[in-house]
Amino acid sequence: MFIIYIMFIINIIIYIYNKQLFFIICIILCLLYILYVYYIYYMYYNICLLYILRLLYILYNIICPPLFSLPPSPVVVVVVVVVVQLLHMSVFSQSFSPCGRFLAAGNNYGEIAVFSLSAALSPDATALSQKPVLRFPAHEGPVYSLLSTDCQLLSSGNGEISCWSWSELIKKVTSSLEIPEINSMSMNFRDNSLVFGGGDNNVHILDLEHGVFKSVLQGHTDYVHCVSVRDREAEILSGGEDGAVRMWDSRTGQSVHCIEVHKYESCARPQFGKWISCLTTDSDWMLCGGGPSLSLWHLRSLSPTSVFPLKGVQRQTTFYQDMILAVGEGPAVSHCLLGGEVKAQIPCTPQSLNTLQLNTSSTEHRVLTVGGSSDHIDVFTNLSYRTFSLSF
Amino acid sequence: MTCYVSSGCEGVKMSPSLFNFVDARDKFTASARHSLVGKSSKPLVSVFNQFPGNEVEKKTTLDQALRGVLGDQIRKATCDEYLSLIYLSIDAVTEGICSPTTPFLLLGDVLDCLPLDQCDKIFSFVEENVSTWKSNSFYTAGKNYLLRMCNDLLRRLSKSQNTVFCGRIQLFLARLFPLSEKSGLNLQSQFNLENVTVFNKNEQESTFGQKVKKGRWERRMLLHRGNSIPIDYNLYRKFWTLQDYFRNPVQCYDKFSWMTFLKFSEETLAVFKSYKLDDMQVSKRKLEELRASGGEHVYFAKFLTSEKLMDLQLSDSNFRRHILLQYLILFQYLKGQVKFKSSGCVLNDDQTTWIEETTKLVFQLLKEIPPDGDKFATMVEHILNTEENWNDWKNEGCSSFVKERYDDKPKRPTRKRQAPEDFLGKGPDSKIFMGNDELTRLWNLNHDNMEACKSDSRSFMPSLDEFFAEAIEQADPTNMVEEEYKAVRNPNYGWRALRLLSRRSPHFFQPTNQKFKSLADYLDSMVSKLAKELPDIPSEEIKTGEEDDDDNGDNLLKDSNDSPGIQSKTVSNQQMDDIAAKLGAQWKTLASHLEMKAAELREIETDSEDIDMQAKLLLVAWQDREGSQATVESLVAALGAAGFSEIADNLSDNNSRR
Repeated sequence: MFIIYIMFIINIIIYIYNKQLFFIICIILCLLYILYVYYIYYMYYNICLLYILRLLYILYNIICPPLFSLPPSPVVVVVVVVVVQLLHMSVFSQSFSPCGRFLAAGNNYGEIAVFSLSAALSPDATALSQKPVLRFPAHEGPVYSLLSTDCQLLSSGNGEISCWSWSELIKKVTSSLEIPEINSMSMNFRDNSLVFGGGDNNVHILDLEHGVFKSVLQGHTDYVHCVSVRDREAEILSGGEDGAVRMWDSRTGQSVHCIEVHKYESCARPQFGKWISCLTTDSDWMLCGGGPSLSLWHLRSLSPTSVFPLKGVQRQTTFYQDMILAVGEGPAVSHCLLGGEVKAQIPCTPQSLNTLQLNTSSTEHRVLTVGGSSDHIDVFTNLSYRTFSLSF
Repeated sequence: MTCYVSSGCEGVKMSPSLFNFVDARDKFTASARHSLVGKSSKPLVSVFNQFPGNEVEKKTTLDQALRGVLGDQIRKATCDEYLSLIYLSIDAVTEGICSPTTPFLLLGDVLDCLPLDQCDKIFSFVEENVSTWKSNSFYTAGKNYLLRMCNDLLRRLSKSQNTVFCGRIQLFLARLFPLSEKSGLNLQSQFNLENVTVFNKNEQESTFGQKVKKGRWERRMLLHRGNSIPIDYNLYRKFWTLQDYFRNPVQCYDKFSWMTFLKFSEETLAVFKSYKLDDMQVSKRKLEELRASGGEHVYFAKFLTSEKLMDLQLSDSNFRRHILLQYLILFQYLKGQVKFKSSGCVLNDDQTTWIEETTKLVFQLLKEIPPDGDKFATMVEHILNTEENWNDWKNEGCSSFVKERYDDKPKRPTRKRQAPEDFLGKGPDSKIFMGNDELTRLWNLNHDNMEACKSDSRSFMPSLDEFFAEAIEQADPTNMVEEEYKAVRNPNYGWRALRLLSRRSPHFFQPTNQKFKSLADYLDSMVSKLAKELPDIPSEEIKTGEEDDDDNGDNLLKDSNDSPGIQSKTVSNQQMDDIAAKLGAQWKTLASHLEMKAAELREIETDSEDIDMQAKLLLVAWQDREGSQATVESLVAALGAAGFSEIADNLSDNNSRR
């Protein structure tokens, strides 16, 4: 009995590193446990003359002790914990590997799971290939943001940014910062710097060459939800809880413009608040949404050109060809035309969506993945229907 | 007709050996050539008529001659020349100078000998002349030839290359033969099981693999490009597996395959539901398509099943319409009453509800497909509804449509004649109004008078056991009923009993050796027979009822007799003594009135010396003879006639006093 208990404890440790192995061992241990119980009770009631009564006793003791008679079995505890974890899981961030064959996804438990897209998309894909090839804990709190550079995977959690090498994912370099909740990260590839914003109301620029902070952009009055880098203009955009979208000059560190989206009547939705949750740029155009409706802005004129009649708060959007893809509240990916019409709403599994990623680095695996309040990550090979789901 | 007779006479006159076949054939051949040049059948007709010989023989000779002309033409001539020869033969048939099969034989020969591209031209001639082939003189003779010819052609044609020509031949056959022609019908509602849609079921057989094998150059190309797009193999396989169900719908009745069908269909339809086609995309593509195909509609006999095409196919509105229509057709088969479905092929409730829901969904999807989705959906619905009629037609054994029209005609007059009755009897409240309330009530007591008469309440005939219960009881010796008081002795009862027996009892008609003296004896024997048959002696209540009835009957009879005062009573001994004493020596005068014979009188005289005694003996003899008929009144009448009116008065007074 002792041995079994010890093995349970060992197994929980295994669980942290490898989920599949954990489940297999769990089942084996359950069987061992039942056998053990059976053996004990059989020995004890050997004296009992009434055979049927004895049999009933044995049956009762096989079925019941793990649940009621004995103190709660570790198996049950672990299984319950895992199930509850799966039920309450939500995916906050995703990033494709530079080669485009893998997808990393971070959830609210601080875990990062790596899925093999090439396996899942292959003709002989099975249910197993939709499970993560690797799963590891990265942060204490949720993984708010994931970002891939040429050879690293950057993950941001509560107060720290971790850098993982794609080639050896277990090795990590962590830089602890005093910034709570780093909500968004973006790479400025021109000078190899990382832009991120979070709970301290500021946007920080970190030079990845030297590992030093180049500048801190101060101006937001509440915490920053999203940052975006305009490649050509060396401009940084950020949106936050205070409802402002600020444009910064990365060289001087000065706020160039400030758009308060909620003050524009066409976008304002007072019932949802003023906060900006998503921000994307594409040359002269900017998409932003959140409390206010999702809207397309012309950056030179700083005016909204079209407002999209989407219900609920949008959490992430992206430009794709001549369309805009947006996810947010509601179990659907919205396809919008630049003119402001909603073309289609494609149903998917999670009830609410947090993140959307397009794999542009590999045509072979050019897919759209969306994650949200579920352990499933939906994969779209064709943008118009859900092909399958990856799951934690 | 006359011509035939005369030629027949000629045939009899000149023996058949006189007909010179070679000569005739040469002449006909020459004139046929001549007519071909002149494009008129007149020379041929005149030559035919001038030539002596049997009509039948001449006909066959002309057939031979025409075929010979064709034989010479083959290889040298153009299509037009063949056609003019065939026209000539058709004219010859209409003139009645050659057998009706000749044009078909010539056509068959031509088509057999020519290459396919020329066959095409010849066949367009065949198509143009459908009305000729369908005319009475040609149809019966030529239909089999035409069918054989078409089948020969079809066999020569490639199914993938000459689709248009094949289709033309099929259409021609459809036009030529009536709709109910059994040879062209799929009577058993069988499916074309050979129409298998092939697709890559596993990775090894993927088209990429095949291409790599093809050549180094291609392989290099592929390596260069890679798999350009991600492919949803899961959907791909499920999607094309569904084709197998459309090919052979009977599979759906199998429980296991139905489950797979259900699963795959739901996934496919979910994709269709999610993947909405937008008008803009389609119209753009369609414009390109139109430009590419020069306005013609592009049609493929088979689905293209490369996995790379999957994505394009999903965004193709025509393709999607095909698939959705296949669903509707399948559902119609599954739901419909088809005669040749085996009895095991029945849907359960779950399946039926699923099909209903999915049909709705499919129509919904069809409506959403641009362009003109609504129009398309309504058209499809309409066509499927008409298809039901065809199905019914097939279930009824493909009855001819022409016959039905004939059947209708004689029906019309009869319907007219029935109309007034319909008008009266089958009105809204089905009441016939006689113009008077009471009459109307009586008339409408029952719809049918005969039925009303047959109703149970109008059956008054008693059952055997009921009626004979009394007689049976009386016949029982233990009851000791005297003979003369039995019911069977009552003539009224006897008459009714006979009638009842004739209606209800088999014994009435059974021949018997016994000879019955009277009706009562006969009834006695019948009653004893019935008593054996009937289960038990009827209960008291019924008996009393019977007696009452009988009494009533007797009373009625008495009333109707209308003879009050005189009671029919037999003469008692006391009365006889009195009368004998009064008669004395004069008894012989009474004897003649009592119709006593002389021999009896002599006997009475020898028996006794005493005159009073002799008188008494006379009365006793009379009484013996008459039995129950020896009543007071008859005696009174006899006394009156004999001149003893004083005695007679005495007697009648005496009797009434009693």
